[in-house]
Amino acid sequence: MHPVIRLVNRNLTISLNKGFLIWQVIFPLIYIFVAGFAYTALIHSVPFGNKSLDYPAFIASGMIGFNIMNSTLISGIIIWNDRRHGMFEQILVGPFTRAHYILSNIYTIGIVGLISAALITAVGYPLFFKSVEFNFYTIPLVVFASVTGSILFGSIASIISTRLQSSEGFNVVINTVFLFFAFVSTAFYPAEGTPEPLSTAFYLNPLTYLVDVVRAGIFGNFSTFVGIEMIVLIALALILFTIATKLLSKLEL
Amino acid sequence: MAVDGIDLSVNSGRIFGFLGPNGAGKTTTIKLLTTLIAPTSGTINILGIDAIRQPLDVRKKIGVVLQQPSYEPTLGVEKSLEKYGMMWNVERKTRKDRVEELLSAFDLQEIRNMKNDDLSIGQRRRVQVAREFMHDMDLLFLDEPTVGLDPSARRGLLDFVKKKVKEGLTIFFTTHILNEAEYLCDEVAIINKGKIIAVDTPDELKNKFGREKTIKIRIPETKKDVSGLLVGIKDYEIDLNSGTNITIRSNDSEEVLLKILQILNVNNIPIEDLSVMPTTLEEIFLTVVNNSNASGN
Repeated sequence: MHPVIRLVNRNLTISLNKGFLIWQVIFPLIYIFVAGFAYTALIHSVPFGNKSLDYPAFIASGMIGFNIMNSTLISGIIIWNDRRHGMFEQILVGPFTRAHYILSNIYTIGIVGLISAALITAVGYPLFFKSVEFNFYTIPLVVFASVTGSILFGSIASIISTRLQSSEGFNVVINTVFLFFAFVSTAFYPAEGTPEPLSTAFYLNPLTYLVDVVRAGIFGNFSTFVGIEMIVLIALALILFTIATKLLSKLEL
Repeated sequence: MAVDGIDLSVNSGRIFGFLGPNGAGKTTTIKLLTTLIAPTSGTINILGIDAIRQPLDVRKKIGVVLQQPSYEPTLGVEKSLEKYGMMWNVERKTRKDRVEELLSAFDLQEIRNMKNDDLSIGQRRRVQVAREFMHDMDLLFLDEPTVGLDPSARRGLLDFVKKKVKEGLTIFFTTHILNEAEYLCDEVAIINKGKIIAVDTPDELKNKFGREKTIKIRIPETKKDVSGLLVGIKDYEIDLNSGTNITIRSNDSEEVLLKILQILNVNNIPIEDLSVMPTTLEEIFLTVVNNSNASGN
């Protein structure tokens, strides 16, 4: 078995514990089924391109992107725990290279991101099935969002985990950053109609682009703007992945 | 700690002890030998492989128990052994057998389902050392493996290591506990301030640096002034404790002992107990390190 596959196996074993699974499944379900229906009283419909979505459908599709981002937290947690509990050095005195280690983290978050996206799509489908417009780019767009989003947000989590020394610092920074990404985005509410500074802030956030791509796939609303968002996502993912890889390669032992 | 001019060769199927005071360069040397860091100059050849050019090939053939703890906090003991074997590409059936063997050898049966995070420091250390035997290797680096272990667990570990060496494994072993090194090692090197200052078998080191012997004589309470009687004997050290214990520390301790026995005999002072303390590796270590510090090397 290839060393990277063995490390991915190990990463999945240590990460997929009850707490993480509950976080990954229950948390989005609460948003979709509790917040989604509760806010319907306030938000009857959300304008989306040339159509109008009901709020549960809007938030369920947003939660796919949100869950992809959340799943990448495990990348930072794996690196952080490995450094904290001595496994980083232990792996690097074993039959592995740093490249194996970095690739295994990327594959791990890619797998978890895809599974998360599939899971939330399956769970959320009853809510947005009325508005779904399946076409030949629906699945490629969702898969693209899963993979690019995993690499992008996984790289951010990795960068944070390599730069911070204390566990308190790590938790505060990673939670603050991911909280910003989650709520200053179009995952929960549309950019249209929000105050100008806030809607601008939405578009400084890669989660907005990720969610837009997912929604474009599900609701058949692909446009030039979504195409530009995809290019931005690829560029950001590449830049952040390069930085994360360099930082991990230089991490002192 | 920078290391300089380290020139070591370790014979296979032996236990090589690497001793030194804190900050002497032991861990740096281990990091170099296990390819965690690269030297600024020089060569490192491990098992016939150039460790600088082919570090991965070296790592495939060695095992390493680092000084700092390393564990998967969310895994149970049994699972962490099993997964470690998987990481080393050990066949599933072999993994299963080895897990059982190691759980038993390291007295981990009772805690096999406990999570690593919930273990005591000593239990975690036992798991860490046991884990390294999940895979095949030609050379094992043990960096202070017994830290945090109770005497029974420590002896169990040392005996397990001895057993593995009899089966052909080579061990590179560092410790602060010098009677462990004496019990285990076929050969030892002493490092100080980044330089090797002595390399030999423990017995040869004792011959080279351990001429001074300690002899203890116990005599009964006597009205005679024993210290007064021994005044004439020179070039040695006598400690009179509570008037009944005489301790001789000398390079010519046998000669001094004869003179003292004669004086005691002439004065009709019986001997209650007489013991010769063998030179320990700890004494040799202190002598060698102190000599090195005094000479500035």
